[in-house]
This record gives sequence, C-alpha cells and structure tokens, in this order.
Amino acid sequence: MTETANVLEARDLVVHFPTGDGQAVHAVDGVSFVIPAGTAFGLVGESGSGKTTVAMACARLTDITSGSVYLQGEEITHLERGALKAVRRHVQVVFQDPYASLNPRERARDIVRRPLDLMGIGTKQEREARVDALFATVGLRSEQKDLFPHQFSGGQRQRIGIARALATSPKLLICDEPVSALDVAIQAQILNLLGRLKGELGLAFLFISHDLAVVQHLCDRIAVMYLGQIVEIGARRDIFSRPRHPYTHALISAVPSPHTIGASTRIRLKGDPPSPISPPAGCRFAGRCAHTVEICRRATPTLEAGDTGHAVACHRADDPEVVAVRDMLVRASSG
Amino acid sequence: MPEPLKPELLTSGPLLSVRDLEIVFRIDGQDVPVVRDLSFDIEAGETLGIVGESGCGKSITALSLLGLVPNPPGRVSKGQILLNGEDLTRAGEARLNAVRGNDISMVFQEPMTSLNPVYTIGEQIAETVRVHFGLSRAAAWDRAVEMLSQVGIPSPKTRAHDYPHQLSGGMRQRVMIAIALVCEPKILIADEPTTALDVTVQAQIFDLFQDLQERFGAAIILITHDIGVVAQMTDRVMVMYAGRKIEEGSVASFIRDPRHPYTRGLISCIPHLSLPPSDVPAPLFEIPGVVPSARELGASGCAFAPRCSHASGRCAAETPTLFPVGDGRSAACWLEVEAAR
Ligand SMILES: Nc1ncnc2c1ncn2[C@@H]1O[C@H](COP(=O)(O)OP(=O)(O)OP(=O)(O)O)[C@@H](O)[C@H]1O
Ligand SMILES: Nc1ncnc2c1ncn2[C@@H]1O[C@H](COP(=O)(O)OP(=O)(O)OP(=O)(O)O)[C@@H](O)[C@H]1O
Ligand code: SF4
Ligand SMILES: [Mg+2]
Ligand SMILES: [Mg+2]
Repeated sequence: MTETANVLEARDLVVHFPTGDGQAVHAVDGVSFVIPAGTAFGLVGESGSGKTTVAMACARLTDITSGSVYLQGEEITHLERGALKAVRRHVQVVFQDPYASLNPRERARDIVRRPLDLMGIGTKQEREARVDALFATVGLRSEQKDLFPHQFSGGQRQRIGIARALATSPKLLICDEPVSALDVAIQAQILNLLGRLKGELGLAFLFISHDLAVVQHLCDRIAVMYLGQIVEIGARRDIFSRPRHPYTHALISAVPSPHTIGASTRIRLKGDPPSPISPPAGCRFAGRCAHTVEICRRATPTLEAGDTGHAVACHRADDPEVVAVRDMLVRASSG
Repeated sequence: MPEPLKPELLTSGPLLSVRDLEIVFRIDGQDVPVVRDLSFDIEAGETLGIVGESGCGKSITALSLLGLVPNPPGRVSKGQILLNGEDLTRAGEARLNAVRGNDISMVFQEPMTSLNPVYTIGEQIAETVRVHFGLSRAAAWDRAVEMLSQVGIPSPKTRAHDYPHQLSGGMRQRVMIAIALVCEPKILIADEPTTALDVTVQAQIFDLFQDLQERFGAAIILITHDIGVVAQMTDRVMVMYAGRKIEEGSVASFIRDPRHPYTRGLISCIPHLSLPPSDVPAPLFEIPGVVPSARELGASGCAFAPRCSHASGRCAAETPTLFPVGDGRSAACWLEVEAAR
C-alpha cells in the first residue's frame, strides 16, 4: 500500500509530560500505526496507558516529544499555528461526554455550523445547506435545528457532536469513548451510524473504547496498549481469534459476559500497574504477567509482525504455555 | 484493610425500602414528574442493578436516597425512603449529612465534576477519612495512600500529591471510588462506576465492592448500561423506563427471559464479543423511535407504547401497573396481563 493511501500514520510517537520534579510521565513511548481510508483503527488497553494522549497527539492537540505523525502522507508533527488549519479541518474529534462538549447556550444548528465559520468554509447559504445535509446524515430532524443541547437526549447530543465533527468533511474522525456514556439502545444507533459513515463516506476512524465487543463490532484493525506502548496489533480477525499477548488475554478474559452469569474465566493480574514515571526495564508487563521468565525482566520484547501484520511484543508469545491460555479463552467463548 | 470499625447492623427487614417515590422538576412553572410510583427494597448484603434508557431517572433516584435532589428545581414530591425504618424524606440536613458520612455513600457518574480541582487527591481522601473515623492527619494520609493502592493507582505515594487534572479519566474514577469505599458504608450506590475503566481494572474494582459486601454486609445499588456487568455483579435487576419501574426480577430472568418489550429490545441491542469473530458484523438491532421527554408523557398509557411493536389500544389509554409474572418477578406490560388470563 502506498504511503498516501493511509489517512494517518504515526511513527515512533513519543509523548512525555514533565512532572514538577524534573521527571516525566511516559504517557506514550514509541507507538506506530497506520490508518487507511475507509477503515477503523481501534485502540484498547489499560486505563492510563496513553490512548487519549495518542489521539490528542494525532490531532496535534498535545505536544509531541519525538517521532512523527503524517496526515495523508504529509508530516504534521511540528506544524505551527497557521499551518495547523489543514489538520483541524481534516482531523476531527468526538468526545466521550456529549453534554460537556456542547455549548449549552448555542442552538444545535450553530454548534454544527461553528467549525465552518471558524475556518471560513463556503458562503453563508452553503453553510446552512451543509448543516441541513449533516442533520440528515446523522439522523436528526431538521426541525430540531433550533433546539438547545438540553432539549436533546444523550444519543441525540452525541449525534450533534458527530455532525459538528463531520462539518468540515474530515478524513479522520477520532472517537474517544464515544458511546460509553450512552445506554445500549442509543449505543446501537450510534455504532450503526459510524459503520455507515465508514462505508459510505470512506471515513477513517481512530476509535478508543474499553468495550471490546464494541471495538470488535466496528474496527478493522486493533492495537492493545499497555503503559505507553502497543503490545499487540493486528486485524480484527487475528486479535479476536488468535490473541497472542498475555495482557490481551487478561483483557479478553475480564470482559463481563451477559452469558456467563456470575462465573468467569477471568485471568487475575497480580500486583499493581507500574509507574509511567519510571517504567520498568525489560517487558513492562513482566511484573504482572503469569508467564514471566528471567529474560522478560532483562530484555525489552520488540513488536514483531508476522506475515499477516499481526504483531506482538512478548518473548513467549509462541510458547505452548501462552498458546494454551489463548486456546482456553477461545474455547470458553464458544462453549 | 484495617479491622471493621463499625458494628454490624442488627435489624430485620429490608435495609432500605423505597415506597411510592415521586420526584418532580419545576420546568416553566410546572411540576414535571421524572420518577413516579417507584417502590423497591434492598437487603443487607445484596446487589441491586438498575438499568434503563438514558434519562429514565436512575441517577436522580440514587441522588434522592442521599437527599441530594437539586432543589430548586427538583424535589421529592411523594413517597418514603426508609432506611432501617427511618423516613429520610423527612430528615433534616444535619441528619442527612450524618447518613451520607456513615450509612450511604455514592460513586457519582461524572468524576471530574465531583472532585475538587484545587486539592490533591490525597488530601480529598484523607479529609473524608479524618472526618469519618476521627483519625489524625498523618494517619488519615496513610489510609488515603493505602486506599489509592487498593483501587489500583500505580505509585500511590507519589500520585496522592497529584491534582485531579493530572490524572487520566480512569484514574479520576478510581479516586472517586476510593472516597466512596474508605468510609465502609452500609449502602454503596455506584452510578456507572467503571465506564471509564479498562476491564481488568473494572474487575479489580468489583472485587473491592464484593469485599465490602462480604466483610460488612454492605448493600450495593449498581447503576449501569453494561449488561455484562449486570450479569456478573448483581443479584436482582430493576429496569426503568421514563421514570417508572417496568420490570424487576432475578438477574438470570432479566437476561435469559426478559418480559417487557423494552427489556427485550435492550437485551437485543448489545454487541457481543465473540472468539473468533463473525466475518462481517451485522448492523445492531435498534429500538425504533426515541424515549419521550418527561413533559411529552401523557397522564396515562404505557410510555413505551409509541415504540412498541405489540402496542394495542389499551396500551395507549391505560398505564400498565407491575404485574407478577412468577418467581418473584414482575413486569408492567398489558401483554403479561392478557397472557395470564
Ligand atoms: N496533562 C497531563 N499532565 C501530566 N500527566 C498526564 C497529562 N495527561 C495525561 N497524563 C498521564 O499520561 C498517562 C496517559 O494518560 P491518557 O489519558 O492518555 O490515558 P488513557 O489510556 O486515555 O486512559 P483512560 O483509559 O483512563 O482514559 C497517564 O499516566 C496520565 O496520568
Ligand atoms: N437539574 C435538573 N433540572 C431539570 N431536569 C432534570 C435535572 N436533572 C435531571 N433532570 C431530568 O430528570 C430525568 C432523569 O434524569 P437522570 O439523570 O436520573 O437520568 P438517568 O437515568 O441517570 O440517565 P443516564 O443513563 O443518561 O445517566 C431526565 O429527564 C432529566 O432531564
Ligand atoms: S515478555 Fe515475558 S513478561 Fe512480558 S508478556 Fe511476554 S511472557 Fe509476559
Ligand atoms: Mg482516555
Ligand atoms: Mg445517570
């Protein structure tokens, strides 16, 4: 695939936040991935592992310590204010909380039109027409244009947020937990909507969620993050039929299933997550992994791609002991 | 954890009993009910799940148990909230403060709005401990750090000095949970406590909840949109729609044999994690239409009727009341009444 077919590419992305005392939080530590047009890339992983920070770096909403980000083949890592306009236009973000991210004193039509005004896109009439079209796209009725945010349901508010994000015809939509505040009925509507946008508009998605079922439903490729790094990445089918990293196993095993009331096959992680201020040497998961051997604490496992683009950062991913856990999970799921 | 600092409860009957609760908000000069005819009980040691459409009144019901309905514009307009027989709707602010400190604590839905941005998280937990257990500042601080470690915050000693904005969403949520658990309440109300957390941390938090339950016989009210969480954590489930209870029963019956058409729709909407996954995911089932706003609701008729594929003339005209459907279950649907004939 040529470089420009990728809407977004992150190469060795590093984001550190300085702490008061001269140290730094290693929020993101060498993350690489590509997102082709018309596909959804899912980021899952530990709370605090750097998912939101990756998203903010890709949208240039936080400073990048090192590494690079390319938008449609153009490097945007160090663009200055004025030049960021193109990024703002092509990369839009839908936030978790549909209420907090909408101005309560603005009417829905003004909220959706605002990005067009800010970027001076189109004439006044064209903008109004665009707002009408966007309302239709996200399934809102045009007579709802004059209402204020509090007059909408949670799902409708999230639709306003999505309409606003789509206003500038972005190439990439970043969704950070877009459905986790919504009830399952509304979640189903929004997920169906996002799926349609992916297919019909060829939109690329960077989609962050803790709900693995939701990620499985929408995403084509998935990366699992642990403490600032990707520990496993692969196609939807590979991640969910042959998960290889022990942390991915733990995640999948901890998903509460509606089918297994009470019981679970959960793999309990021992110990505490290590500090992102001084991440441990070797495998960052070693302190909590059930399969740790001496090499794990000494050498950092690299993310190695097999021929399918399914990559895992674990010294023992092909060890029968680790493979047995995967087989157990797959059996438990189908059983 | 230290030894239990509070004596066991020695009462019979439900720990908490809500009777005919009605909560209204004053909107444009009118009292609009957002919760109606709501009755439920919870026993010590039990976990009750509350599910239902966004805006159906779950959080406001929870807030009412703590005397925290924002007034104005809201108020409890009818009914009783009986804690060990004492009606909290008649309690004064001092008494409610004591209840909130000692008996009932809550993990709120929005962690950012409930943490104070100008104090470190350690100070916020320690203050709660100090007031509750009368500990010294130093002891309270130690307890705060210990609690942070129990909810899985890495480097708790260092992190205790952080302000809320320096934490990830999931960490802020865990701080809220630490504050709610640190006083060892008799009733823990958790409103979407783990939506911001990854599933391994979520499981760890639920272990803490269960520990609280086993050691102190705490009752838990768990409000969540995650049906998997309901399955794993709760004993009994109450389903709400447009301010009313429309179904109640054991967790197994809720998931395997939902009766109310809304509950059935709810169960059908959820995506399932499958290993291996299907090749092309089918679109998810959608319940048609939207939930009516509290003001649009008519005085009578089933609030779900406009969206229900089984609705008959009676559904639009008469409000169905909860009808027993066996096994201690009930559903508010005319279909059940007809079927029982
Ligand atoms: N502005 C900031 N200053 C200092 N540290 C920060 C800042 N923003 C994030 N962090 C830290 O960076 C790390 C990654 O945070 P991030 O919000 O990206 O995690 P996340 O994967 O999105 O977590 P969650 O699933 O809980 O939302 C965390 O340790 C967090 O505390
Ligand atoms: N301060 C307020 N003023 C007016 N109406 C309010 C206020 N707070 C809540 N309401 C209304 O009360 C109803 C119940 O709200 P509540 O927050 O309990 O819903 P919920 O079931 O918790 O929803 P969600 O699942 O989205 O959290 C809603 O219709 C809401 O609009
Ligand atoms: S490298 Fe070692 S410690 Fe790390 S995940 Fe693999 S087996 Fe576990
Ligand atoms: Mg985040
Ligand atoms: Mg709520």
